[in-house]
Amino acid sequence: MTEEEVPPPEELKIEPRYPSWREMLKPVTEKDFKPGFYHYSANVSDMEELHLPFPREWDPKEKDWKLPENWKEIFLNKLKEICDKNRSFKLFMDICVRCGACADKCHYYLGTGDPKNMPVGRAEILRSVYRRYFTISGKIFGELVGARDLTEDVVKEMYYYLYQCSQCRRCSVFCPYGIDTAEIDLWGRDLLTSIGINHKFTLISIAGCARAGNHLGLLPGGMVGSLQMAAEDIYNITGIEIEVPVNKKGAEILFVAPSGDYFAVPHWYTFMGYLMLFHEIGLDYTWSTYAGEGGNFGSFQSYKLAQKLNAKIYQEAERLGVKWILGGECGHMWRDKHQYMATMNEIPENLEEPVSPITGTKFENAVSTKMVHIAEFVADLIYHNKLKLDPSRNDHWKVTLHDSCNPARAMGLLEEPRYVIGNVCNYFYEMPAHTIREKTYCCASGGGNLADEVMELRMRGGMPRAMALKHVHEKYGVNYLCTLCAIDRAAFPHLLEYWKLPVEVGGMMELVGNALIMKGEKERTTDLRGQPLKGREE
Amino acid sequence: MINSFLEIVVPYTAFAIFIVGIIIRIVNWAKSPVPLKIVTTCGQQYTLPFIKRTVWDKLEAPYTKLGVIPRMFFEVFMFRSLFRNTRYYIDKHEARDTRWLWGFALMFHVSFFITLIRHLRFFTDPVPKWVIALSELEALKIFVPSVYITGITGLIGLTYLLLRRLYGKKERTLSYPSDYFPLLLLISIFITGLWMRYISKIPLINVKKLALGLVTLHPVAPDVHPLFLLHFMLVCTLIAYFPFSKLVHAIGIFFSTTRVMPNNCRAVRHVNPWNPPYEGITWEEYYQNYKDQLDEIAEKGYVIRPEIEEEEEEEEEEEGGEKE
Repeated sequence: MTEEEVPPPEELKIEPRYPSWREMLKPVTEKDFKPGFYHYSANVSDMEELHLPFPREWDPKEKDWKLPENWKEIFLNKLKEICDKNRSFKLFMDICVRCGACADKCHYYLGTGDPKNMPVGRAEILRSVYRRYFTISGKIFGELVGARDLTEDVVKEMYYYLYQCSQCRRCSVFCPYGIDTAEIDLWGRDLLTSIGINHKFTLISIAGCARAGNHLGLLPGGMVGSLQMAAEDIYNITGIEIEVPVNKKGAEILFVAPSGDYFAVPHWYTFMGYLMLFHEIGLDYTWSTYAGEGGNFGSFQSYKLAQKLNAKIYQEAERLGVKWILGGECGHMWRDKHQYMATMNEIPENLEEPVSPITGTKFENAVSTKMVHIAEFVADLIYHNKLKLDPSRNDHWKVTLHDSCNPARAMGLLEEPRYVIGNVCNYFYEMPAHTIREKTYCCASGGGNLADEVMELRMRGGMPRAMALKHVHEKYGVNYLCTLCAIDRAAFPHLLEYWKLPVEVGGMMELVGNALIMKGEKERTTDLRGQPLKGREE
Repeated sequence: MINSFLEIVVPYTAFAIFIVGIIIRIVNWAKSPVPLKIVTTCGQQYTLPFIKRTVWDKLEAPYTKLGVIPRMFFEVFMFRSLFRNTRYYIDKHEARDTRWLWGFALMFHVSFFITLIRHLRFFTDPVPKWVIALSELEALKIFVPSVYITGITGLIGLTYLLLRRLYGKKERTLSYPSDYFPLLLLISIFITGLWMRYISKIPLINVKKLALGLVTLHPVAPDVHPLFLLHFMLVCTLIAYFPFSKLVHAIGIFFSTTRVMPNNCRAVRHVNPWNPPYEGITWEEYYQNYKDQLDEIAEKGYVIRPEIEEEEEEEEEEEGGEKE
């Protein structure tokens, strides 16, 4: 499905449904799965490559999902194991009071009106099974306390709805008990994996990353080709020949970016921004092909798969003997790096507490994990006047910032990008208060939803963000949506085209790259996109 | 006989179920490890010195364990997260603050808490001065007997919570019988309590005897007003029901990993006791898989340079060769 196949915005109806509680307990099955909302099943080859159980061909739209014979036993054992291993999950199963504060906080609910897309509705799909088999009241009173038997139909419902969550955690901000649907969703997907139900798009990316070092499955030569091409683009615009270190032992810093940055557009300009900055400040750093991926689609799927991918960064940091790690602009990557990576892996001993070689600033908030966000790094450079900047080179942009879900709600990275943008652009406008910072709306394509087959879900789920953007577009003429996330940069161009918003999408480092005055550069006439600069048109 | 059963056996049993049930719950939660530090940040992280953090940032993205205390204080006593609540208007495409749920929920919880404290006067002899003082503080003395505000506001809060489940579309969809049950139970308790005090004005001497007997473990079973007995049985039901229901949220919140952990994930390492070993491709295997391409990077001295102008064509051919 492409965005053209989704009914146009004028025809898109959002009709909230309010079924009774009994109907809510009836599972939605393959008969009700709608194209544009359900995900394709995983490739057998990817499942085999990742050693996941029960690899087989199956189709979500068919009645028989070819579950293993003892799937119920496996499922319930796994559910018990998860509860025993993870307090958060168990607690979130127990303490929800269904107050409904989370309901209209979910962009998918707002865009679809489907009650099972309320965060509480999504979680109840799992909770109902948990109650039936693991609580006394559920065993005795059944439906009256919201407990139901585990059937194949319930499994189908889980697959349908657990993958309609982008794990953005907006609901967790509003929940009076801090219940985190992303956590429930992640372990729920892990449960499905245990009985051989997996998701195509996520698994392709995980397998590619595990094998080749990045989600796209790009081979080392391909990555090198990209780096070279970007260096050539930079030469064309600035007249400067830069050198890009790759797999270089003994460098001070390992730089890791999401692979979208060196492959896709408009990521490309952000990618150029990184290279220009590192050249300009003479950073002793290196890219890696083995750890060529900052993002971690494993973190959408299970603990083990998340670990499988983020482990490689530390391994590479150890092999190359770097002192610390710098990370690029990516959303879920930073949940993974901030909250997961150092727990899932041993921290290599050669790593040191991160200190900026240019300013001498020690990044105190990263002394254990030894990984610093590019926005932190650049903000520090700007604060210490280490960069020569000409913000007027971004004057053709009226910029707004989309806080990416995970840096905002799992990390608290709010002011750093604003500080940087404030120094490289002259025109910056905030979207309405309930749509930014920790209350930011998701692009609706995270958590594995970047898959094309769920385009209608993405276009609907992106509605709240698109409307917030429309507001500033109409009010201030905003024409540049800055976002520090590779999935955002891949998702928003489709979303904004669908919602008919003539706004370009790009990263923070693209704006930095535009504004950065480099030593020995020729007079710039265009920005990194090749568009003429304001006041310098011919 | 029936008196001793209802006034001694039932309350002790209910209380025993409550205590054991709660302990089982707490132990059950506590024995599961916390594999990941998954704090939800609702403010600016602790970061570079020139990035200023406001009081709210410090409250909602605490950097230290100590900093978690005020966050939890506000969550537990002020329902901070619920205060953030908004309502989305789909026709206008905007969310607006809505504080009704916050207000009435807080009204009920505070009222219930104070009402509980006031009840200490039945369980203590002499009644502690602060209990009397607290009761005096909220008593409207223009009425006889004086009216305790929290008894009324508690009921109002509960009524709101019930009505929104009945008449709110979303809320009705989300409500199981098990959501109405505790509300109805609490409303019944409040109504019987208020009825006794303000309408029936039942004698309290035996009630106090019963209550004192229970807490001093010298239980007696005096004759009491049937309305009181009803009130008392409902309370016993609530107590026994508590550990097996969603009411455990009152204790669960103190375990909520997204709120009780500090956002110092990159500064202080969190250890997962069951962290599995890494399973995946090593550099050696990776190198064997892509030896040619990796060797080529080595030949270039691990540095990629732009190919400019006339050399460009040649280089592209080489590139093509590499990929095969």
